[in-house]
Formats: sequence, C-alpha cells, structure tokens
Amino acid sequence: MSWLPLAHALASRQDLPVPAWLFAWGASIVLIVSFFALAAGWRKPRFEKEHWRPLGAGISRALLSRPAQALCGLVGVFLLGVAVYAGLRGTEAPDRNFATTFFFVTCWLGFAFFSALLGDVFRPFNPWRAIARTAGAGFRAIAGQRPAHLAYPEALGRWPAAIGLMAVVWLEVVYGSTGGIAVGLDPATVATAALVYSAYTLAMMGLFGTEEWCQRGEIFSVYFGMFSQLGWFGVKDGQLGRRRPLSVATHWATLPGSAAVVIASIATTSFDGASEGAFKDWIESTFDWLVDRGVGLLAAQRLTDTIFMLLCFGGVALVYMLGVRGMRTIRGAPSLAKLRVGFAHTLIPIALAYLVAHYFSFFVFQEQAQFTYLLSDPLGTASTDLFGTASAGVDYKVLSANAIWYVQVGALVVGHVIGLTLAHDRALVYWPNYREASRSQYWMLAVMVAFTCFGLYLLSVSNG
Amino acid sequence: MRHASKLLLTLLVLLAATALSACGSSDESTETSAAPDSTTTTTTKPSDKPESASMGGKVPTVVVREGEPVGGIAELEYDAGDQIRFEVTSDVADEVHVHGYDLSEEVKAGGTVSFDFPAEIEGIFEVELEGRAEQIAELQVNP
Repeated sequence: MSWLPLAHALASRQDLPVPAWLFAWGASIVLIVSFFALAAGWRKPRFEKEHWRPLGAGISRALLSRPAQALCGLVGVFLLGVAVYAGLRGTEAPDRNFATTFFFVTCWLGFAFFSALLGDVFRPFNPWRAIARTAGAGFRAIAGQRPAHLAYPEALGRWPAAIGLMAVVWLEVVYGSTGGIAVGLDPATVATAALVYSAYTLAMMGLFGTEEWCQRGEIFSVYFGMFSQLGWFGVKDGQLGRRRPLSVATHWATLPGSAAVVIASIATTSFDGASEGAFKDWIESTFDWLVDRGVGLLAAQRLTDTIFMLLCFGGVALVYMLGVRGMRTIRGAPSLAKLRVGFAHTLIPIALAYLVAHYFSFFVFQEQAQFTYLLSDPLGTASTDLFGTASAGVDYKVLSANAIWYVQVGALVVGHVIGLTLAHDRALVYWPNYREASRSQYWMLAVMVAFTCFGLYLLSVSNG
Repeated sequence: MRHASKLLLTLLVLLAATALSACGSSDESTETSAAPDSTTTTTTKPSDKPESASMGGKVPTVVVREGEPVGGIAELEYDAGDQIRFEVTSDVADEVHVHGYDLSEEVKAGGTVSFDFPAEIEGIFEVELEGRAEQIAELQVNP
C-alpha cells in the first residue's frame, strides 16, 4: 500500500524503502557525529546574536518598495483565486486539478523548503495579509483613524496555529484518504476549505490585527515562519539583510505554544510516513476493533487515523519532555517551563529534516505536473492548453532510487547536527559552567538520536 | 572531566546498542513483510531467473473479479533493466493503467490484456483499474 496517502492520491508512486545497509550507515554516522559534538563543543554561545548585515540599499529599496509589496500581494491573491476556482469548477480527479497540487505540494511543501533556505518568503505573498492590509488602508483613508483591535490573549500564543497545523494535515491525509483507494481529497473540498479558512483568517485579522494574527494564529505564516528562522535573509527596520543562519531561531519559541507547533510538525510527518509502514499493523487492528463494534468503515478509518495522529503528537511531545525533565536534574538548571520553551527551537531542524526525507521526491515529481499540465489545463478538463504544456507528463527518471535515498538519509543526518548545534549553544546560555552545560546535553543528544533514528527507521520499513 | 567522559562513554554504548537493535528489528520487519509475498500466486521475482517469464510462458497474471483483484493487491517486483511482463484478466470492462510508466490498456469484460515493457523507472507504482480507481497491483522496480 501507500507510503504517503497523499502521494497515493496525486502521484500514484512511492519511494522504495531505504535498504538496511544504508540505514546502518546513517545510524552509525549519527552516533559518531554526536560523539564529536559532545567532545568538541564550543564554550561561548555563537547563535544568540543575529550578526545582521544589510544588503545593498538599492536592492533593499526595490524589493521592499510599496509597488513590489502590492505586486506580491496581488500575485498571492490571484493564485488563491485561481486555485479556489479550479477546485470548485474543475475536474474531481485530484491529480488533474490545479487546486490539490497547488495547495498541498507547491505551497505547503514549497514555502517550507524555500523559507528554510532564504527566510520568510511567504510573508509578501500571503494573500490574507495582503487583503487585510488593503482593507486596513481603506479604513484609515475613510475613517481617518487606525482600526481598533482587541487585545490578543497572550496565553493563547501560537496554540491556534499549532492546532490549525494538525487540522491541515488531518484534512489532507486523514479526511482525504478514503479506505486506501486512490481517491484523495477531492478538489471541491480543498477549495471549500480554503474559502472557509480565508473567512476565518480575515475575521481574526480584523479582530486582533493583521500582524498580530500572522505572528500567532495564521497557520501558514506561523508554519513557514518557523522554518524561515533557519534561513539566510531577513528584514529588519525596513531593510533587507543577511544574518547568521540559525541565529534568529534562538528567539523564536518565546511565544506560548511554539513548542506545540514544532512538535505538531514532526508528529504529522511521522504519522504520514508511519501510517502505511511502521504503524500499519497497529492501525489495522484498531480499525478492525472499531468495525467489530459496529462503527462504519469510513468513520472507523478516520477515527483510527485521528487517534494515531494524536498519539504521534503525544509521542513526540513525550520524548521532548523527557529530555527537558532530564536537563532539569543537572545542577543549576532553570525551571522546567523555561527549559521547555528554551529548547523548542532545536527541534525545527528535525522537523525540516523529516519534511525533506518524506516529501522531497514527491515534491520534485509533483512540481513537474504543477508547471506543465496543471498550469496549462488548471481545471483538468482537457479543453484548455494555456501554455502548450497540457500534454506533458512527469518524468520519473529525473531521480534514481539511490539519489532519493541519499537525500533522505543526508537530510536526517544534517538536521540532527543542526539540532545538536542549537541545543549545545542554548545550554551554554543556561549553564555558565561548561561542564554542567555539556552534561545537560546528554539529554538533548538522546532526544535528537531518538528522533533521527526513528526517522531513519520510518524510511527503512518496507511498506509492502 | 574523567567522570564526564565515563558517563559519555556509557551513554554512547547504550545508544549504539539501541541503534543496532533498531537496525536489526527493521531488517526483520522487511523480511517478515516480504515473506508472505512469496506464497501469493501473483508474486514474481524475475531477478532470480530472468528468462523464466519469457521461456516457460509463466507470465504472472492478475485476476480481477467483480472489479477487485483476487487475493488482494498483487505484488510485482523487478530489478531495473529487467523486462516487465504481466497479464490482467478481468471480468469487468475497464482501463488498466500502470502509473509512473503511464501505460494504459483497455480490457473487455472477460478479456485479458498483457503488458511487456522494460523496467527503466525505479520506485513503487500503482497498477489500477482507472475507471473504478481500484488498485489491483503494486509494481516495484529496485535499482
């Protein structure tokens, strides 16, 4: 059956499981690297400061000018409109309709990957932000004053985004996968969900303020923003600049619920990877148990998948909390709450590694569809050919099985190293004594090794 | 410092042990999941004896009854460079679609269609009854 229910519905292709020898190599490298990380750690924090340096004033002014911002916003709104229209009016086949691939592959994966490299590239294209800002400007012009907003409840923090993130993936892989049949989420549902989400987001932006909601509640801003913390470029005081990679991540998790966002990201990718591989037998027996008790087939499947997705969240959270509790036992440790917040950002590279390992090949293949037939024939009705590429197909030969395996294992190893780097750096801030700092990191090392080896294990399990 | 390095060593030994056991268990799981494959009639391992399919005429056949594959989704496994040959016999009319390779054949009710093409794309692909969106076989091409 399918490695990715999503891939199942869209590409009808799955990656081959990573062979045992590569698994062994990957795990060994992880252990050796970890050993060196402990032995050869630096003694002063290196990533607490941004080391921000402005790019040329010309390029900064051009990219951040009002017309450029308006143009980006227009592009975002236009593409959202096209996708919603295609979803509502186009074919029911998810793999032939622009909407499904555009939302769940091009945007959901694409912005995550590129944000991690470049910085927050979603922000200028965010269609809801663009609409809300335009509405705000209109309000100011007519009323002659800034719109009044409610105070956002601080304690809520990023929890709305964490729950929303789970909901997006739930819609995609639980609601959209019906009984293992290659159906997938039907495009009309995707479009309807996008419309409902748009209404909700604009309402929230109106209530609490556009930037406030983008920081805390808007799922996509928060999710892509999380990955953008790792990236090279950022805007500061209206100027575009280069910063030390990873450095802004160290201050990302200060809002409540941030740890939940990164845990939700790891958990949902794990669930998607494990649901038809590592956890398949458990999921099937739970499903059978429910069906035996008179639950309908579809309901039983959705219920089972929902339970397991939540269990994944619980499992990932538990591993992290064990690490945090372990660190608490080291002399001079700050409070549990401070530790929990203080190390949450060290999981961002793990979340990214999971995402690359599970979806990299899928992204490469599906983007070929996005930029050929889905672009020329967005409705999938075979009646339009806007750019003359409607009859092109996906070339699956661009990536060999070996290339995919190396990228998958490489991503996990690199994510592991970056995670350890950030954790070591943060420990140096909390424990002035170097020996205690490095001893506290046995715990985070165990956490990272657990996540990386679990990631490798998921890739290596035969999904047959 | 000595104390710390001792602690560290113990930890690493523990970690190595866990990693190795995880490694071992993943091997087992691949084997156990591969084991039932060899008992199903539709499974073929042409890599063992590449010529048998063409010479003995023992081309694997996926039998479709009432729109569903008999004995569950058939597993067809090849190595890159092999010649992929299999047949689909169906009691319903539909279009048999091999994804990835993007090959399609119309099958009539009660008819048989055969496929014969080189294994040049690696990965795991669906073979499905396009009209019913029903997966009937899984084509695996190893590097």
